[in-house]
Amino acid sequence: MNRGCLAAATARLFLFQGSMNPERLQGLGMAVAIEPLLRDLEGGPAGKAYHEAIGRAAGFFNTHPYMAGLAVGAVAKAEHAGVPSQQVDRLRMALKGPLGSLGDRMIWEGVLPAAAAIGLSLSTMTNPFIAVGAFLLLFNAPHVLLRWWGLRAGWRLGIDVAEALSHPVLQAGLKISGPMAALAIGFAIPVVAEWLTTGLDAAARWGTAAVGLSTAIVTRWLVPTLGAARLGILALAATLVLGWLS
Amino acid sequence: MEFTTVGGLLLWGAVVGLDLATIAQVMIARPLVAGVVAGWIIGDVQAGLIVGAILELFALEVLPFGAARYPDYGLGAVAAAATAGGAPGVFGIGIGVAVGLLIAYLGEIAIQLIRQRTAADVVSRREVIDSGDISVIYRLHLRGIVRDAARAIALTGLGLLLAAAVRIAMPVGVRGAVLLGAVAMGVGLGTTLVSGTRIAQDSRRGLVWLAAGLLAGVAWVVVR
Amino acid sequence: MSLDLVRVDDRLIHGQVVVGWGRELKPDLVVLADDEVAANEWEQKLYALGVPCSMRVEFATVAEAARSVDAWAHDSCKTIIILSDIDSLQRLCNDAPIIRKVNLGGVHNDGDRQQHLPYLFLSEAEVGQLRLLATRGIEITAQDLPNSAPVTLEDLL
Repeated sequence: MNRGCLAAATARLFLFQGSMNPERLQGLGMAVAIEPLLRDLEGGPAGKAYHEAIGRAAGFFNTHPYMAGLAVGAVAKAEHAGVPSQQVDRLRMALKGPLGSLGDRMIWEGVLPAAAAIGLSLSTMTNPFIAVGAFLLLFNAPHVLLRWWGLRAGWRLGIDVAEALSHPVLQAGLKISGPMAALAIGFAIPVVAEWLTTGLDAAARWGTAAVGLSTAIVTRWLVPTLGAARLGILALAATLVLGWLS
Repeated sequence: MEFTTVGGLLLWGAVVGLDLATIAQVMIARPLVAGVVAGWIIGDVQAGLIVGAILELFALEVLPFGAARYPDYGLGAVAAAATAGGAPGVFGIGIGVAVGLLIAYLGEIAIQLIRQRTAADVVSRREVIDSGDISVIYRLHLRGIVRDAARAIALTGLGLLLAAAVRIAMPVGVRGAVLLGAVAMGVGLGTTLVSGTRIAQDSRRGLVWLAAGLLAGVAWVVVR
Repeated sequence: MSLDLVRVDDRLIHGQVVVGWGRELKPDLVVLADDEVAANEWEQKLYALGVPCSMRVEFATVAEAARSVDAWAHDSCKTIIILSDIDSLQRLCNDAPIIRKVNLGGVHNDGDRQQHLPYLFLSEAEVGQLRLLATRGIEITAQDLPNSAPVTLEDLL
């Protein structure tokens, strides 16, 4: 495979969710990302193999966007290896869930909240641009590496892509990212609370704490389906109305 | 607000809205980032930082699994910064966060609407897509991206209008502003506590790590 | 002790299941009841990698799963069963009347299904199958994540 095509596919991974929709989820994004890797199938971009492979790739697909490269690479390799079409479909289907589950646990429940909490804590201590820069760097170093590596590992292994998922670095990331996130969030809560409420009088501070505890109780136990945004809108609207009345 | 400021905010809104899911996802859509930069565009980094940080506390609840729905807190932070920017002291914070949450929530609804439109596109061109016509796939993909950009710009525009309306007729006095600010911070901090425990419960000895973090944070606050 | 969730989700094992529902229900065992996966070793290897080490995963055909449902329901460990389509659900419920409650978590379009929710597309035949299950008193709700609002079958159709 020429490196230009791999590079093009890597770049297109960053558009993976461009046409996200309930009908096919990331299907079109999958086709767009895999296209450079299918150009040298027998007959080239005008050939039957290319069109059939693109059509298959555009079917329903849904996985963690950062892990998608593994699927793109593995499916492209399977197409090149002449794996029967039905089995390519099974491969695509079998990859989306496990890749999604790994990415969700490692990134959405680990690296992201950890980096965000560190960014929040830093913004109380230093120049906000440094805090934001540190957050972006901490988060995107693993993010970009994952996309880059994933595509290449998938392409190397094809249908044996499961091997890539037991890579020691990936497994270690999976193990430590959750605890790191818990630690970072724990640290951020008192630090950010103190920083935000500096300048408020004692009554307002106690009020903030009371609202915080009520929020925790409501969103954890009473109405978990409400979500913080709607709860916040309701609470602030109620405060405004009460303010007018009094 | 200057013409260039409005233009800059609309452009930043587009970038932030697209980053949420559609392009790159390098997390400039996080409210802390979106808020600080929006504050810088307005000329009040501090205000952008504070509303961005509060909305970041909210955003820690989001786990964007699969095609789950979640508020667009990044666009919310741009609107919140526009509302709070330039307001003295605590004045803009609570009301800024309120505007931000509203825009975040509308952003979530708007995402569903545009994704439905893209789905309709896919349904109407299903045969062509399945036949592997890459030019049609490119076009539909691009259309999805353009729709999301339009969503982001429209909601940022709406946020700026709300911000202007609030600033002309600021509906609260000093006491009210403090109260609103306290409610916004409280809900944000409570949300983070819940998110933290949820994340902790999912990993081995996570609650121990969470408690260790809390202790360290308290120690940091006391020592400093 | 319990069968905590019987879920239809054509994505089988993915984040919404292992993280979303996993954190809420804390299952010990995830059963993937699907005839094709049960026959395919490399697919099992992939799905097994998607499950956190705190949960065990078992693969079974729908018929095998139906035979074991009673044991799981009375066992001390908490079990989740995942099925790939409505057809498997009907077969499972027919053979295992102990199942009284099912969750529709994701059925996507394959051509001639109608959309009911963003994550739920059903063909007329599938709607008929679900109605039939409902008349037997099985509680059917659609809900993708534990913190999203459940939708009952009546509201759905």
